[in-house]
Amino acid sequence: MAYRYLFEQMVRRELRQKYKGSALGVLWYVVNPLVLMGAYYLMFGVIFPLDDIEDFPLFLMVGLVVWIFFSQSVISAAPSLLEQGALVRKARFPRLTIPGAVVTVQMVTFLLILALLGIVTVALRGTLDVALLLLPAILVCLYAFVLGFAFAVSILHAYFRDVAPILSAALLPWFFISPIFFRPESITERATYRAILEWGNPVAPFITAVRDVLYGGVVPDLAVLGYIAVAAIVALAGGRLLFERLQGELAVVV
Amino acid sequence: MIDGLRPGEIVLEDASRAFNVRADRGRTLKELLIGRERAGGPPPVQALRDVSLRIEPGETVGMVGRNGAGKSSTLRVLAGIVPLTSGRVGCGGQIVSQLELGAGFGRDFSGRENIFLNGALHGLDRAQIEARLDAIVAFSELGDFIDAPVATYSSGMFLRLGFSIAAHLDADVLLIDEVLAVGDEAFQRKCEARIAEQIAAGATLVLVSHDAALIERTCERVIVLDGGEKVFDGPVDEGMPFYHRLMGTTEEVPSP
Repeated sequence: MAYRYLFEQMVRRELRQKYKGSALGVLWYVVNPLVLMGAYYLMFGVIFPLDDIEDFPLFLMVGLVVWIFFSQSVISAAPSLLEQGALVRKARFPRLTIPGAVVTVQMVTFLLILALLGIVTVALRGTLDVALLLLPAILVCLYAFVLGFAFAVSILHAYFRDVAPILSAALLPWFFISPIFFRPESITERATYRAILEWGNPVAPFITAVRDVLYGGVVPDLAVLGYIAVAAIVALAGGRLLFERLQGELAVVV
Repeated sequence: MIDGLRPGEIVLEDASRAFNVRADRGRTLKELLIGRERAGGPPPVQALRDVSLRIEPGETVGMVGRNGAGKSSTLRVLAGIVPLTSGRVGCGGQIVSQLELGAGFGRDFSGRENIFLNGALHGLDRAQIEARLDAIVAFSELGDFIDAPVATYSSGMFLRLGFSIAAHLDADVLLIDEVLAVGDEAFQRKCEARIAEQIAAGATLVLVSHDAALIERTCERVIVLDGGEKVFDGPVDEGMPFYHRLMGTTEEVPSP
């Protein structure tokens, strides 16, 4: 990997540049998700409490951090190639490093928050189980899935500027159909609807898997584990292929 | 791409490149789905038209022509940043392009940090950059400013740092686009001397400039481009008079 060091530099640059000059600096990466989590907790934990799920705040938070990682990553990756236009137009280097750095910075934030939340959840729920050993593998799959998705979104947005607005419009309804503040089985009796909620949304199995090991203390269904492994490979390979197919004219279009 | 070239060798075969000209450069999804581009607007500009050339390792080539003749497009094609519409291109060895000095600088980062970032963009790792760090800092003559954010630099200091980094990257091919004009006279001379050192070490130089004296000093061979076509390719003492005649009266261009 000749460009490993470049990737490291791009991550550092992404991390420092975004909030440079602000009083909290890098901390904003953590503050934003925390504020979001607080707001959702207020909404679904206090104002409209869903009492049929035990330790609902923890149930909600574990799902929410996964969602926030996904949505923040793709939303910041979409315009990333345009934002680095000066670089793309004037230098030759692997362009995948640009969205790659964006997602990696989000991943670091996500891991920090998940570590805190994970310790609290496991301690309060008493879910210390061998199932936890699966967590690293689940997170690797999640990272690969989001990375592939971000590759596709960033290169598509460089050519078609409607992609980022469409994406940000889609993320809100997408959030509501994701099993973050509910369990699919508790809102629908119909098997088809349930299957769509559980399998039609590629983010759902990732939320389920992380929640199973942290909140539930159980090994996720084999179907869930298989799904996330396949989703990770398909997204990463597909996103990368699309990026490499389209990147030729990048210096002209950004 | 043409493979198997020696380091420093440059080949263009029937190279053509067209650009769409539109104020709003992005295509929309709608156009993709309907499968057609918006009608109207100016036709595509042919930046390069069937240009063929071969440059041997160690040659020094000046590229001249009026604005819009295709000089910068040729450099961007050689640097591998812009692909050709048709034809083939090949550039052997480590290419160092100075199309815009300091293009990749993060303005909030110090000069020193930008050296690492810029070196990494050229594929160097930390150890390779560290080995060159002192030479780069000394060459730039930035002194204590090397640890100040580049946002505080003057345009001359920006140029000094950009050139100093590019000049220490062990290039086989140097692609330089009119970037030396910002520095003061002393620094320009220093840059020219550094370029001469790299050429003596075997590097190939392709220099785009409107400064006729600079081309005459540094280049043995001149390529004149006009309207995207190669209209002259030969020794500098014939090429520059040809170029001057071209710039003076387009109608009376003698055949090369």
